[in-house]
Amino acid sequence: MPNDKIVIIGGGPAGLEATKGIADLGGNVVLVERRDRLGGTPDSSSYAALTHHFMDAQEVLGKMIVAITGQPSVDIRLSSKIVSSQGGAGNFRLTLESPRGQETVEAGAIIVCTGFDHFDPGGETQMYGYYEFDDVITLTDAEAMLKAKNFARPSNGQVPERVCFIQCVGSRDRRIGNEYCSKVCCGIASKQAIEIRQLLPNAKVFIFYIDMRMYGYWEQEIYWPAQEKYHVQYIRGIVSEILKKGDKLLIRGEDTTMGRPMEVTMDIVILSVGMVPSEGTKEVAKLLDIPQDKYGFLKTAEGGLDTVSTPVEGIFVAGAAAGPRDLDDSISMAGAAAMKALAIVKRKSQREMRG
Amino acid sequence: MIPTEALKKSKREFKRDPASAPTEDMHDKVLEIEAKGEWIVHRVPEPYIEFDTKYGRKKKLPLQHTWHHKSCGQCGHIPGYSTSIFWLHRRLGMEYNDPTDQTSCTAWNYYASATSNSAAQACVAMRNFAAAYESGYFPQIHCATSYGHYKEVREEMVHHPELRAQVREIMAKMGKRLVMPEEIVHYSEWIYAVRHEIAKHKVLDLSQITATVHPACHYYKLVQEDAIYDPDVYGGQRTAVVTAVAQALGATVADYSTWFDCCGFGFRHILVQRDFSRSFAVQRKIEVMREEANPDVTLTHDTGCVTTLDKSQFAPNAHIDPDKRKAAIPVMSEAQFAALAMGAHPYRICQLHWHAADYRPLLEKMGIDWQEAWKEFEDDIERLRKDPKAFLTWEDSDKGRAAHASHGGL
Repeated sequence: MPNDKIVIIGGGPAGLEATKGIADLGGNVVLVERRDRLGGTPDSSSYAALTHHFMDAQEVLGKMIVAITGQPSVDIRLSSKIVSSQGGAGNFRLTLESPRGQETVEAGAIIVCTGFDHFDPGGETQMYGYYEFDDVITLTDAEAMLKAKNFARPSNGQVPERVCFIQCVGSRDRRIGNEYCSKVCCGIASKQAIEIRQLLPNAKVFIFYIDMRMYGYWEQEIYWPAQEKYHVQYIRGIVSEILKKGDKLLIRGEDTTMGRPMEVTMDIVILSVGMVPSEGTKEVAKLLDIPQDKYGFLKTAEGGLDTVSTPVEGIFVAGAAAGPRDLDDSISMAGAAAMKALAIVKRKSQREMRG
Repeated sequence: MIPTEALKKSKREFKRDPASAPTEDMHDKVLEIEAKGEWIVHRVPEPYIEFDTKYGRKKKLPLQHTWHHKSCGQCGHIPGYSTSIFWLHRRLGMEYNDPTDQTSCTAWNYYASATSNSAAQACVAMRNFAAAYESGYFPQIHCATSYGHYKEVREEMVHHPELRAQVREIMAKMGKRLVMPEEIVHYSEWIYAVRHEIAKHKVLDLSQITATVHPACHYYKLVQEDAIYDPDVYGGQRTAVVTAVAQALGATVADYSTWFDCCGFGFRHILVQRDFSRSFAVQRKIEVMREEANPDVTLTHDTGCVTTLDKSQFAPNAHIDPDKRKAAIPVMSEAQFAALAMGAHPYRICQLHWHAADYRPLLEKMGIDWQEAWKEFEDDIERLRKDPKAFLTWEDSDKGRAAHASHGGL
């Protein structure tokens, strides 16, 4: 008989949503989180406002955490990680390492919610100078400053007059092997551009892009107001290098609309870094023998519209551990994964489910 | 939560991870082919030092027992460049072989689309590698264009078995085996490896000298993963050779906004679009350096770059109103600069009289009495003129200042 527990690895938005879903449906969850607190990447990377309606990230996460805390059917293990695994669907035997030491946890199904890491800009063409120039920062660095309501030049603490974003850093790039689009960076950059304009009405903000990928309602809720209300300037073209000129940064690239090279100075450059599989995702893939795609993300089962089943029976994935996913995807996948994991423990095999 | 203060103070350090390198590791490929019995891999001799390259892989740099693959361009019109490289080896007691039967790499020929076919081109490279192997010394390449080109040849040879078969047959006719070096090494990597030794032997104070560095495209853009990157230099974000040497010698290295630009030599631009090269060198590089960094000297590490940046400076001198003309920036290799710092003769060894842009203010600032040195050199010439069979020897170059005949003029 399948064990009635479901182990969820990763306490970020996907893990929190999956936990709540399973608890609401009467299931039992062991939520394993390696950090000493829940919240995942939006917490560890100090997200300020979420792209969704500019909701405060801490508020949203706070609500999700409260919803599962103190539930008798939810066992939250912080500062913990899985170190080995045996068995299969219905009867996994996992070794959990925590401050209490090592113990065996039995589970009927597993949901992996280990998320992503932000691309390290040093791995790019390396002409953006992230490790050379203090005023070249990433989306997460900018997010931290916006959260503190203090957006200033890291080099001298001064208020910037000109700020630009460079899109697709570490994404859509055959040279470094990350050919995919990371899906969220256009929305995040536009959101941050609006936030900077709100904070610093005299600052000029530019976004250098290849394509602006503003899916669904982001088009009229973010992209149009960014331009029409907040006067963010979108310039199509690739930036090839960033150097210093005096105490400013010199951006050199191509303006493809005008069909000519461009050289402009900026005070701060924000690199819109994409998603790569997190260290946790890579570790768990090896531990649980989950096949990975060529980028290192977890594979989902082929041949159907199943977005959450991995090729390993009884193991599901939700969120960016499966590849670039936005919050909508992560929350939706969490619901689907919760449903399927619960089905396993209610004695249905995956074969029966597919009919 | 990351407070802004912490963000300002944090020292970001980029850690390279060879496991995530986007290109294949040539070392593995070269050794695989040896394992199949197709060629001999000429191993890097001890003593060697290992350094990180662009994607975090290690590169072995031999310090001694090197076979010097010279540069036609250097020997032809920047002879002080080659002489300085040899002088540095001699002064540091690093044993080397200067072959008299080396051929040109023919890369410039190839870039001008005048090469015959890929087998002929590869044979030139493989012939030189075989000659080095036979001598027992490991190839050290003087010219970055040769270096980049030989890396391209290596890639072709590794990926095309039919090319290897053709080349093997041609080598056999010359009585030579197919040999591929374990590493393809540029002399500037050797200077980088021994820069602290050079600094120990320094006799001049260079603390007042500001240098700009021009990195050779043929060194770090052609087959980019082989170039040396150092976390202490430019945060590991730009190639470290030349800059690290100037810094080790105590000079200030100033940045400028066209650092990544080609010097203008291109591949064949200097042959077929010469005015473009000249304009590019002057307007994109020299004038920008002057305006933004105001250096005393520009250092670089390729034959083509020294040629283009130096010799192109005659053009603005010819047509710009002298009152509006910006002062020339002397250009030399870091080998010549290091040699000067160690007390090498500016004319016998560094042969700066071959350079176009005026280097004399630089020498004065470095504390070198170029007038005295020139008189010594004129004495040498006088002596050589009297005996057609005589030539300057290494012993001559290290001679102390002798009494000189009075010539008048320079």
